[in-house]
Amino acid sequence: MSFLTINGVSKSFGGLQALRDISFDVEQQEVVGLMGANGAGKTTLFSLIAGHSRPSLGSIHFKGRPIAALRPDHICRQGIARTFQIVRPFANMTVLDNVIVGALYGVRQERSTARAAASAMDILADLNLANRADDPASSLTLSGQKRLEIARALATGPELLMLDEVMAGLTATEVSELLDSIRRIKRRMSLTILMVEHVMQALMRLSDRVMVLHHGELIAQGKPQEIVADPKVIAAYLGPST
Amino acid sequence: MQPVPIRTSLIFVAVIGAASFLPQFGSEYVVAVALSFAMWVALAQSWTVLCGMTGYGSFGHAAFYGMGAYVQVLTWGTLSPWLSVPLAGLVSCLFALAAGYPALKVRGPYFVMLTFGLAEFLKFSIIGIEATLGQFSRLIIGAPSPNALYLAMLGLAAAATLITYVVSNSRFGYGLRAIREEEQAAETIGIPVARYKLTAFGLSAFIPGMVGAVMAMRLSYFEPSQAFDALISFNIVVMAMIGGSDDARGPLLGALFLIGLSELLWARAPQVYMIVLGALLVFFVLFAPQGLAKQLFGGARRRAT
Amino acid sequence: MSTLFSGQLLFAALVVGSIYVLIALGLNLVFGTMRLLDAAHGDIVMLGAYTSFWLFTLSGMSPLLSMLVAGALSAGFGAAIYYGLFRRLLANTQLSQRLEGNSLLLFFGISIILQNVAALCFDTTPRAYTYLDGIIRFGNVAMTGNRIAVLIIAAVLCAAAFLFLRFHIYGLAIKALIQHRQAAAVVGVNIERIQLLSFAIGFGLAGLAGSLLSMTEQITPFMGFPFTVAGFVTVILGGLGNLTRGMAAGMFLGFVEIYGVALTSPSLHSVLIYGVFIVVLFLQSQGLLGRRPS
Repeated sequence: MSFLTINGVSKSFGGLQALRDISFDVEQQEVVGLMGANGAGKTTLFSLIAGHSRPSLGSIHFKGRPIAALRPDHICRQGIARTFQIVRPFANMTVLDNVIVGALYGVRQERSTARAAASAMDILADLNLANRADDPASSLTLSGQKRLEIARALATGPELLMLDEVMAGLTATEVSELLDSIRRIKRRMSLTILMVEHVMQALMRLSDRVMVLHHGELIAQGKPQEIVADPKVIAAYLGPST
Repeated sequence: MQPVPIRTSLIFVAVIGAASFLPQFGSEYVVAVALSFAMWVALAQSWTVLCGMTGYGSFGHAAFYGMGAYVQVLTWGTLSPWLSVPLAGLVSCLFALAAGYPALKVRGPYFVMLTFGLAEFLKFSIIGIEATLGQFSRLIIGAPSPNALYLAMLGLAAAATLITYVVSNSRFGYGLRAIREEEQAAETIGIPVARYKLTAFGLSAFIPGMVGAVMAMRLSYFEPSQAFDALISFNIVVMAMIGGSDDARGPLLGALFLIGLSELLWARAPQVYMIVLGALLVFFVLFAPQGLAKQLFGGARRRAT
Repeated sequence: MSTLFSGQLLFAALVVGSIYVLIALGLNLVFGTMRLLDAAHGDIVMLGAYTSFWLFTLSGMSPLLSMLVAGALSAGFGAAIYYGLFRRLLANTQLSQRLEGNSLLLFFGISIILQNVAALCFDTTPRAYTYLDGIIRFGNVAMTGNRIAVLIIAAVLCAAAFLFLRFHIYGLAIKALIQHRQAAAVVGVNIERIQLLSFAIGFGLAGLAGSLLSMTEQITPFMGFPFTVAGFVTVILGGLGNLTRGMAAGMFLGFVEIYGVALTSPSLHSVLIYGVFIVVLFLQSQGLLGRRPS
C-alpha cells in the first residue's frame, strides 16, 4: 500500500477538461516534483488532494483511506498540509500567531497556546523568521511570506507537505537558502513532499522523482536527470521539433 | 486557554462588585443610565464575538434583541422571569443557528446586507402577525423593580464581557480570527470553518436575546417596531467601530463613548445625536479604522519594512 | 381576480418599475466603476424630492423644470463627496482592501446624516403637493397625468443613459472601467475623471428620480431608505455592474411589488420587499445571478 495513491483522477470545469485520467503513487518520505507549463493542471491537482474541490472521476487514497470526499479541514487533520501559490497569510496577525494557529489545529490539535507558541518558534527558526515573530504578517517581503506559508503548513504537523511554487519570485540566494531549509526540515520531521515548481534548480536538487503534466495528462515520470532528457518532455515544453 | 491575569480579574470583580451597590446610593436617574450602559456593553460584547473576530459584520443584531423581548412578553404571566429570560436567550440562539446556517455562506458586505434584510424581514413579519392578532402593543404589568432589573442587566454585561474575553484568548478565538483574515487558508490548516462561524453566531445571539427580555420588563411594554428597531443594530455597529478591537476592551470603550453622547443629546435633540453618530462612523472608517482601542493601547501595528 | 389582468395594475407596475430602474442605474454606476456600495442612494432620492417640493411650494416652479435643478444639485453633491471622502477611501491601500464593506459603512453614515439633517431642517411632517393630477382615461384604465409624466420622463432618461453609455466617449470609458479597471487605465482612460463622472451621473439620476416621485408620493426625511433597498435588490438581481440587465431587473421588481401586494395585502408590502431582498442575496452568493465583473 502506497502512502498517497491517485487513481484515475479526472477533473473538468464545464466543458474544460483540466485533468485527464491521472494515476500515480507517492511513497513515504519521497520528494516528488511536479512540473508542467501554466494551465497544465498542477494547481488543480493540488486542490483535489487538499479537498478544495472534488474529482469528477477517480479516487484519492492517503495512508489507505479514501479522502476525495473530505473537506479541507478534515484532510489537513489526516496529515496533509499545503501552501498556496499566491500567498494567503493571516495579514493582520503577527507572524508568530500565524504559525500558532497552525499548531492549534491541523493534525496536532494542540490545546495549549503556550505549547503551540513554543513549537511555532522552533519552526520559525527553521525558516529564518524567528526575528520577525512579533511583526504583522503583512509587513513581510514576498520571500518572507512564502516562508511563512511553509511555516504555517508545517505547524499543523503534516506527514505529507504540498508546496505550490514556493520558489517563484525569489532571488537566487533566497532560493538556495530556502532549499537548505526545506531539506533540513524534511529530515527532522520525516516529511513526504509533493511540490509544484518552475524553478528547475529546486526540482533537480530536491526531488527523488519528477512527474510532468501536459494539458491535463501525465506524460512522463522518472528521475530528474532522465526527465530533462526525455524527448516527450522537451517536445511539450518547446513544441514538437520540426 | 491562557490563564487570566490576576490584575485583570481583580479589576473585573471590583468593578462589577462596586456597580452592584449602585442602587443603594445612586439616584433613579443614575441607575437608569447605568442600566442602559450595561445593556449596550452586553450587546456590543456579544456582537464582537461574531463580528469583531470572524469579520462577518452583522447589521441585524436588533433581531435577537427583539426576539428576546417578544419571548418575554409572550410568556409573561405563565413563566417566572428566571425561566423566561434564559428561554429568550435560547430562542434567539436557535433562531441565529437556523438563519446562520444558510446566511454564513454569504460573505463580506453581502452578509452585512443579508443580516440587515433578515432582521427587517423578521420585524415586518412580527408586525404583521401582531396586527393579525389585533395586538398593536402588549403590556407587562407587575415587572420586577428597576433595581432588580439593573442587577440582572449588570450580570448580563459581566457575562458578555467574560465570554468575549475568554473566547478572544482561547484556541477558538485564534480560529475565528484566522477565518476573518483568510477563510480558505483557515480551512486548509484544519479549522472547521462552517462549524466555527455558526457557533460564534449562536453565541453572539444568546445574550442579546436575554437583554431584550430584561428590557421588555424594564420598558413594561412591547411594540414590534421598537423592539426590532434597526437603530439598535446601528448603535451596536457604531460602538464596535468606535471601540474597534477584537477583544473585550473595544466594546467597553465604544459603549462608554456612545452612552455619554446619548445622555448628552438623545433626549434633547435626537436628530443631532443621529447626525453625530453618522459623522462618527464616517470619521472612524476613514481616519481610525482600528478604533479607539488601538489608539489607546497600541497593538500589532504595521511596521515599515 | 379580474383586477389582476386589468391595465390599471400593469400601469402602476410600469411606473414603479421605471423609478427603480433610474435609481438602480445610478447605484450600479457607482458600484460598477468603483466597487462602492452606496447605502445613501435612496437619501439622494429624498433630497431630490424635497428640492422639487420646495421649489413648487415657494416659487410655483413646475417639477418638470425643477427636476433639472434637483438633478444638477444631486450631481454636484455626488462630485463633492467623491472629492471629499471617497477619493481618500479609494487611494488608501489599507482601507481599499475591504473596499465594499468600508464603503457600505461610510455611505451608511452619510445616509444617517442626510436623513437627520433633512429631519432637522424640514421637520418630519409628510409633505405633498398636487401637480398634473387630472385623470386621463385610456379605455378602462384611469391614470393621473403626473404618473404618465413619470413614466415618459423615466423612459427618456433611461434611453439617454443607454445611448450615452453606448456611444459617447465618456460612456464607453465608464463601461471600460466596469469591465476591467487596470486595462482601462492602460488604454488611456482617465480613471479619476470617470469616477467623478460616475458619481455625478449616479447621484444626478437619483435626484431626478426623487423629483419625479415628489409628484405622486408623500415626502418625508426617511422616505429614501426603501428605495435604497429596492435599488440594491435590482442591482444584485441584474448582476452588479451589469447596467442593461439592471434595467430589466428594476422593471421586474416593480411588477413583483405591485402584483405581489395586489395578490396578498398592502400590509405585507415590506415583508414582500425584504423577502425578495433576502432571496436575491442568497441566490447571488450561490453564483446563480451571473458573475460579477472581476
